[in-house]
Amino acid sequence: MTDKQLRLLKGTFDVLILKTLSWGPAHGYAISRWLRECSGDELIIEEGALYPALRRLEERDWIEAEWKLSDSGREARVYRLTRAGHRALEREVTAWRRYITVFTRVLEARPGAARS
Amino acid sequence: MSREFDDERLPLSRTRPVADDVRRELEFHLDQRIAELMERGMTRERATAEARASFGDAAAVEAECRAIERRRRASVRRADRLGTLWQDLVVGFRVLRKNPGFTLTAIVTLALGTGAVAAMFSIVNGVLLRPLPYPEPDRLVAIEERHENGSGSVTWANFLDLEARARSFSAMTSYGAWTATVIGTAQPLRVRTGAISAGFFRVFPVRPALGRLPVPEEHRLGASPVAVVSHEFWRDHLGSPGSLENVRVKGSWDVQVVGVLPPGFDFPDHTQLWWPIELMEQSLSRTSHNWETVGRLRAGIAPEAAGRELDQILASLGPQYEPNFDATGAVVTGLQTAQTGPMQQPLLILLAAAGVFLLAACSNLASGILARGTARLGELTVRSALGATRTRLARQLLTESALLALSGAAAGLLLAGLLLRVLTPLAPADVRMDRVGIDGWVAAFAVGLAGLATLLFGLFPALRLSSASTVTALREAAVGMASGRRMRIWNLLVAAEVALAVALLSGSVLLIKSFGRVMETDLGFEPEGAVALAVDLPSVNYPGRSPRISAFHLAALERIAVLPGVLAAGFVNRPPLQGNGPTGAMVVEGKPFDPSGRFTGYAIYRVIGGDYFRAMGMRVLKGRGFGPGDDISAPKVAVVDQAFAEREWPGQDPLGKRVKPAGMDSNSEDEREPWFTVVGVVPSVRSSGMTDQVRPTYYFDHRQRPPYRSASVTYAVRTSSAPGESFAALRRVIREVDPEVPVVLQTMPQLVSRTVADRRFTMLVLGTFGALALLLAIVGIYGVVSYAVAQRTREIGVRRALGATPGRVRTLVLRSTLAAVVPGLVLGALLTLVSSRALGAFLYGVSPFDPPTLAIAVGALGAAALVAGLVPAWRAVRVDPLIAMRSE
Repeated sequence: MTDKQLRLLKGTFDVLILKTLSWGPAHGYAISRWLRECSGDELIIEEGALYPALRRLEERDWIEAEWKLSDSGREARVYRLTRAGHRALEREVTAWRRYITVFTRVLEARPGAARS
Repeated sequence: MSREFDDERLPLSRTRPVADDVRRELEFHLDQRIAELMERGMTRERATAEARASFGDAAAVEAECRAIERRRRASVRRADRLGTLWQDLVVGFRVLRKNPGFTLTAIVTLALGTGAVAAMFSIVNGVLLRPLPYPEPDRLVAIEERHENGSGSVTWANFLDLEARARSFSAMTSYGAWTATVIGTAQPLRVRTGAISAGFFRVFPVRPALGRLPVPEEHRLGASPVAVVSHEFWRDHLGSPGSLENVRVKGSWDVQVVGVLPPGFDFPDHTQLWWPIELMEQSLSRTSHNWETVGRLRAGIAPEAAGRELDQILASLGPQYEPNFDATGAVVTGLQTAQTGPMQQPLLILLAAAGVFLLAACSNLASGILARGTARLGELTVRSALGATRTRLARQLLTESALLALSGAAAGLLLAGLLLRVLTPLAPADVRMDRVGIDGWVAAFAVGLAGLATLLFGLFPALRLSSASTVTALREAAVGMASGRRMRIWNLLVAAEVALAVALLSGSVLLIKSFGRVMETDLGFEPEGAVALAVDLPSVNYPGRSPRISAFHLAALERIAVLPGVLAAGFVNRPPLQGNGPTGAMVVEGKPFDPSGRFTGYAIYRVIGGDYFRAMGMRVLKGRGFGPGDDISAPKVAVVDQAFAEREWPGQDPLGKRVKPAGMDSNSEDEREPWFTVVGVVPSVRSSGMTDQVRPTYYFDHRQRPPYRSASVTYAVRTSSAPGESFAALRRVIREVDPEVPVVLQTMPQLVSRTVADRRFTMLVLGTFGALALLLAIVGIYGVVSYAVAQRTREIGVRRALGATPGRVRTLVLRSTLAAVVPGLVLGALLTLVSSRALGAFLYGVSPFDPPTLAIAVGALGAAALVAGLVPAWRAVRVDPLIAMRSE
């Protein structure tokens, strides 16, 4: 892990998990692999941290789990987005988008511009 | 493992234990990662190391996951349970609504049971359990002197010694309470007043709401008279003045009001005005028992220890004053116990009776629910076959019972409120119904009872039903068979109910009989047709020695006598049954006045006026009553009662004998009293109560005794019209003689019946329980027998088809009824023998083991049971065999 890698902002992890699951049910390992691949190894995520996060989301009824046979022929705990989870994802994504837009605008602003 | 099964789901979706669930998931991750890394060419060892490193602290992750998962599952279970409860409730409501007859009977039965218990508990709680509303009430005690024949008030002289010497008490007070007259208000008033000694407000510490308490200097003979009044009196009769300057109360005295007590201070009961008892000259005789005494124990001193100390003090006083000393010791009792004393036991008995009644109601319900449960066996069995577990079904049944119990408790609370309202006017005076209310405690008690009832009658059928194996149950449900075992349980319930009803019923019959005996008592006078009119001449206008007192009476008697319909009128200083009143030693001529023996010579002292004997319906047995000529200047004469004559002159003619009331009207020696010649004998009347023994009494004419003896009297007026009709005229007459004299009117029968209020109260309440228990038993027996008949319709049809006569079928049904009822009757008789012993103290003229009573109770229930069984038996006979056999 190098300095070039990004530390994950608090609260964003859940959104990423929900996003991953929005493509379809997946077990924990698949989620972690997708996260790794999508972010191009730029996000620092201790893989282990995924699991408590998943359980917490399950506790909030945003996702639900079921033991199922995986492609490898072993039983895996497969997670699926619930209806509430879908709604939560939409909410979170909108919020993050606005946050990023506003944040970017502030960062790119020049002195005096705000008043005009 | 089995805990993890969800009741409702089929055992397909089993859930893993938490630890397993978490471990497997994490293992899966690591294995997949290792496999992936090995695919990229790593050795297993390197791949494992790499996988673990990128995973982070696996142990911590695992622990965290477990914690979250446990929490999640717990909350899911909670939600599930709530969901089930809701479902149970919904189903329960539906089931109860679909059977309004059953539901209504059950709720009414339960409401009667819980209502009775809640009402009785409210009374017991308010009267016996709730502490007196004074600081540290457990340290308050009542003090009495013990004498050779019982105990009673402490003499003033002894009280002073005890107060000065006893170390067990932080304060002690002697007080008297009576109703006195207040004038100058809108109407002349009769108010309860308390004459209190200096220690009173140390025994009952209180901060006046206004003004001050009397100071020690005011607790002296000859001090300027002061008083404190109750908050209510200050508000209602003084007009709530902000300053007490120049606020005086006149009537029986003329006192300066110096203080107002806070609202709610109420000792002695109902007192409105308190003033120093020391303002009255006190008799220093050691045998003159006038006042009540209460004390406040020092912290940590037991009443018994205090009693022993007082015993010692009295024992040391005795030798100094013998023979004019009669105390043999002291009795120290908790004040609350002392105040509620006579009603304590009856109230507890009534509470127990209410409990027994509730039990009977519960067994009634249990049999009802069991019958209903059997009818629903089919439904339950199907649910069971579809996967509902036994616990689940039992819970459903319990929920239904709880619904019933709670509705019953709610209805019961309403009923209890109603009962209290009905009982309040019936309660005897020493049951302070104003302190009784349905409060939080009682509500909690009723809900607790409902809970208990739920367990009692809900669990039993629930167990029975849920233990029935599915196959048997299905078969029974299909055939409609009342199994022998179930019948046995029913029989047991019916027997229990019958037994409890027999006990309650015979208890009530015993009390009713006693009451009848009491009312049959020869009173010695005839209350019917007479009116009792109490007057109290305010001593500000009628000083103790004033001839105005006699003048008032003579004027009043004259005017009353000429009222239309008045047959005779007279007055007495204390009417019969209203307490002993003035009682004293007397001297009989020719017998030595032996002071040591004079306590057996006590007699009740009555001062009368007008034609009292005729007005009371007391026949003069010998000689004559007093006449107009027996005035102050005439020779002194007395009339004695039979008991007096028999005690003093057995076998002799009492007429012409001479007596004198020693020391009654003067504190000095009796030598100065003149002799009174006995001129007549009248029947004895009871002074302190109908069941009390007759006490020897002598009568004097008011004109020949000091005037103050007749300042407070009760007129007896015999009329030919209905007693109530003369009230207005009598009131008018007294107002004409003196508008500042308050009048209290009642009919003589009312006055008599108030003295038996406690008996009537106990009898009415227990009688109600008894009658209701009988009713419940009838309903219960009827329900069970008709249900059993319905269940046996098929069997009866077969019997009929095979040639059984209607008579045989009826016998069959009746026999099964009797199988339950007869053991119940026997049990009830045994129970009665035990329970009526508790009633012993309240019985009069009837023994607790009264065979006729038992016969009445057993007979009533037996007859009721027969009737209750006969109707279904009749119906059974009318069953058409063909239909019966087809009936499923």
